[in-house]
Amino acid sequence: MSEFNVLLQKEFREAWRSWKFLWIPLVFALFGMSDPLTNYYMMDILNAVGNLPEGFDITMPNLVPADLLQASIGQFQLIGLLVLIASFVGSISKERANGMATLLYIRPISFASYFMSKYVVMSAVGLVSIAAGFTASVYYTFILYGKFEVTMLLAAFATYFVWLLFVSAITLLMSAAFKTGVATAGAFIIIFGGQIVDAIVGVFWTVSPWKLPVYGVQLIRGTMEMPDYWWSMALTVVLLLIFIVIGIYAMKKNAAMAKI
Amino acid sequence: MMEELSAVPWAVIAPLLVVQFILVIVALVDLRKIHATNGPKILWVFIILFVSLFGPIAYFIVGRKQS
Repeated sequence: MSEFNVLLQKEFREAWRSWKFLWIPLVFALFGMSDPLTNYYMMDILNAVGNLPEGFDITMPNLVPADLLQASIGQFQLIGLLVLIASFVGSISKERANGMATLLYIRPISFASYFMSKYVVMSAVGLVSIAAGFTASVYYTFILYGKFEVTMLLAAFATYFVWLLFVSAITLLMSAAFKTGVATAGAFIIIFGGQIVDAIVGVFWTVSPWKLPVYGVQLIRGTMEMPDYWWSMALTVVLLLIFIVIGIYAMKKNAAMAKI
Repeated sequence: MMEELSAVPWAVIAPLLVVQFILVIVALVDLRKIHATNGPKILWVFIILFVSLFGPIAYFIVGRKQS
């Protein structure tokens, strides 16, 4: 256990020194702000830059707070996850490539605690990031549109965090199993490709990890079918545990790939 | 002048300004400390200062050379 603590401290220090704890949350906060703001000022923006013809008339949809949170989550899903994955996908494979890993692999540390220390740090950065993003989005929605119900908002937040744990597990599994380039491609294909597949043919099934972010918002709207929600949640947790185990195994198997 | 300032909806603007300010400061401090960047350092100074919001983010994503 103590070796896990030491490794965890090392990872936290590294994430802190490369400012990951600061700028990734700020990026999420920015994208959380953007949707309530642009929707609220859409008329002004169109008048200022739109070059609309005379007599042009559009009706703006009547948005409720949950719509704006959904829009913000949509931003996190694309750009937020892109930033998060891109900055952590090299965390194992890059250490192998630049020889840092040999300094660690020659010591009698278990691969499980090494992998878990990286996983905890990535999840912690993700947690701080989505906390910042949700805060920014909810703050602007609150001043411009209206209130949320706090318990349901926390439920949506927790749901999104579970999805983020799933993303972290896939990213680190890829990083442990492949070189950085392949790992990046693999993680992007699974996370974003999964989202696309789910958007196109997702009506045919109701249980899938990729649906969790939407389900979180549906909790706020009160239109969620609870069995679907719990099954998706359970499936996600089981899958992420499997991914962690495979990741540890892949890391052990690829230890020989480390450059000396 | 004062009326114009008070007409600005500060509750809406202030957080954006704060985030932008923190990002610029952190990026500049990091740029000062870091050994080498991808591309000339002075270019990054200008990008960070003059491309609002996305300049510092771009620096953190592609500018830092991870050794």
